[in-house]
Amino acid sequence: MADAQRAEPVDAEALEEAAEWLMCMSAGDVTDAQQADWLAWRNSSPARASAWQRAERLMGKLGGLPPALSMPALDRPADPGRRALVSRLALLLALAPASWAGWRLTEQQGWAADYRSGIGERLDLTLADGTQVVLNTDSAIDVRFNAGERFIRLLRGEILVQTAPDIVVPARPLWVGTREGRMQALGTRFTVREFGGRTYLAVIEGAIRIEPGNADHLARRVVQAGQRADFDARTIAAPRPADEAVTAWTQGMLLADKMRLDAFVAELARYQRGFIRCDPGIADLRVSGAFPISDPRRTLSMLESTYALRVEAHMGGYWTMLAPR
Amino acid sequence: MSDVLPSPDNHIRNVEALYTGHQGWLHAKLRRRLGNAVDAADLVQDTFTRILASKAVVFDEPRAYLSCVAGGILANWCKRKSLERAYLAALEHLPAPEVPSPETRLLILETLHEIDAMLDTLPPLVRRAFLLSQLAGMKYEAIAEQLGISLITVKRYMKQAFVQCLRLVD
Repeated sequence: MADAQRAEPVDAEALEEAAEWLMCMSAGDVTDAQQADWLAWRNSSPARASAWQRAERLMGKLGGLPPALSMPALDRPADPGRRALVSRLALLLALAPASWAGWRLTEQQGWAADYRSGIGERLDLTLADGTQVVLNTDSAIDVRFNAGERFIRLLRGEILVQTAPDIVVPARPLWVGTREGRMQALGTRFTVREFGGRTYLAVIEGAIRIEPGNADHLARRVVQAGQRADFDARTIAAPRPADEAVTAWTQGMLLADKMRLDAFVAELARYQRGFIRCDPGIADLRVSGAFPISDPRRTLSMLESTYALRVEAHMGGYWTMLAPR
Repeated sequence: MSDVLPSPDNHIRNVEALYTGHQGWLHAKLRRRLGNAVDAADLVQDTFTRILASKAVVFDEPRAYLSCVAGGILANWCKRKSLERAYLAALEHLPAPEVPSPETRLLILETLHEIDAMLDTLPPLVRRAFLLSQLAGMKYEAIAEQLGISLITVKRYMKQAFVQCLRLVD
């Protein structure tokens, strides 16, 4: 029979169950307990495993679609009047910010930003005054230069700033602002990251003065080259030494020195779409080395070949799990 | 399954006879529907290709049979065209740096056709809920609010859509 290959038997019940799992997973984050249940379910019978293979193929297809293009095409009106389509499209683009390379499921910020990078992207910019800014993965900035100051607002993500002497005399101060406060560049080269309600600063050359947003001038502090410090809107943590790992991303590398696996995975997750998690049982495994962030698959296979763990890719690579071997 | 299977040669001869006798008529009919001869000629080709690949044996009422096959192909073609139009319009509105390469554009279009076919028979609201979740990345709560339905209903719709897709995905 020529059709035998296509007529792969499908167990209707397993298919229903797989659909139920997909429905749960699409609701948002998945708890560790749910994940364990799902694994047990999938491994409990060949019919279920095969139903889940279909689920992975489906999610692989859906995950490969850029929303800005697919939504208008698939959600088109039954009778596509051109005008209706265009106005709806405008609405959609306004409502559901989507960048081809940098779509993230819930993140909406940055759509209206002056510059933004997608997940896994790095963007090199030279601003009007010659200052160079590198955007790390999934980052967004606004740039506002006027007669009195140069202001870079970090909306999300991480940047490296290499200042240039101002073209205007007298030189305008250069500020980097975040939700937590602002930093004045007294020197030339530094990175700023906005993450989880804190700003992380590392100074490579020169010095930076931090001014938390909701604190008086006593709370201000200057951070010198070779130091890093983080702060929220009120207080600045004591500066600690910064090493080369903080700028490794500008070279496309993630440097780890006896880093806990869960921290490593959280770092790696910034550079790829979808979920990546590690089994709690191996969370405290220590990882060292230089890993290519532009190639998460390679990074994962490097981990797999060096440490006692295995990488399970599900849903077309959309969901990756590191499990003990 | 029929009792008497035609030999492949027979089948080809049958289809040839059908083609010689009726392709002009079918082409004229389709051209009237579509208002353009080139697309009509494509659809005529598709229709006969489909028949050639099928196991249809005898063509008792050739024109009724042709109309039926061509009708299915036409409906599918119109659906594909409307998807392509919407896709092209969306491409036009994309900021230049985000426009994918021509090869990627084609790959995306193919996948869109596949997904479109999977969602084809779903009720409009189910389809909409599914797209808002899977493409727009909206949370179920937000979808419930936007569509004016309950959270439970959103979940039921999602499951219904997933079942349908899982049945049809290759």
